[in-house]
Amino acid sequence: MEMKPVRCISYKADLVYRYSAGKAASRFLVDLRDNKKIMATRCQKCGTTYIPPRSVCGQCFVTLNEWVEVGPQGTLTRFTVVQFPFWDPISGSQRAVPYVLGFIHLDGADLPLQHYLEKSDSGDLKVGARVEPVFKTERFGTLADIEYFRIVG
Amino acid sequence: MKKNEEIVVESKLTIPYNYFAGEFASRFYDELEENHRFWGIKCPKCGRIYVPPRQTCGPCFQHMEEWVNVETEGVISNFTIVRYAEPGYQPMEPPFALALIKLGGADTPFVHLLGEVDPDQVRIGMKVGAVFAEEKTGDILNIRYFRPV
Repeated sequence: MEMKPVRCISYKADLVYRYSAGKAASRFLVDLRDNKKIMATRCQKCGTTYIPPRSVCGQCFVTLNEWVEVGPQGTLTRFTVVQFPFWDPISGSQRAVPYVLGFIHLDGADLPLQHYLEKSDSGDLKVGARVEPVFKTERFGTLADIEYFRIVG
Repeated sequence: MKKNEEIVVESKLTIPYNYFAGEFASRFYDELEENHRFWGIKCPKCGRIYVPPRQTCGPCFQHMEEWVNVETEGVISNFTIVRYAEPGYQPMEPPFALALIKLGGADTPFVHLLGEVDPDQVRIGMKVGAVFAEEKTGDILNIRYFRPV
């Protein structure tokens, strides 16, 4: 019998899931959607400002009730240029490469927020760069309501 | 802002994957796709005919190389009815039946879908035949399903 190359079988499974964001993240997402504001919670004991907000301080075990607006501008603390895209577990799709993923230390916050950055070839993409969010026109109450952060100044 | 609005995050995890079918299963798929026939493989020691074909006989540890065509019709040796709907990866709209089908001339049952049948009417021993897909799918769905004959 004539030999043929072995077959490669390809499948794609889509697992659709949803979860309740909870009280703190819900408020954060609603403000993002309705007011284009980035809200964080602040611990009254140690002063840490959490972004994304959480309802209990991890260090002090104190319930966090104080809300503060952070950003919208921030500083890029680290980033990577993605050449091999992952499958986004929120949208179920891949982003066109190359794209930039970075940690943004928003003004007034104590933790970095992870988000996409506008790709830039001009050399101003570096640690320490000042960035600001670009909001989508249509927003649905997800972190993707911020399309990406862009470099300012 | 609506007070105390609870956000539900809608997400989708996409899992694309590939695997190599290997030498024996590739030949099995080729025959299905090109000739609408089933290849089985016979053990030289115990004479058992495996569908789908495998390289080694489990009980005898014999390397098998005698290819034999088996019938496209067979008998349901067991089945289950899938009633829950899980969007994204089910091959059919539930409720549908998944059956173990022992094709004529084969000694091992073969898993596939049943079609053109009320799932509640499916019985062990029912005679079914393969309905082939009109277009090549490159996988086991070259057989659309088995239907009662």
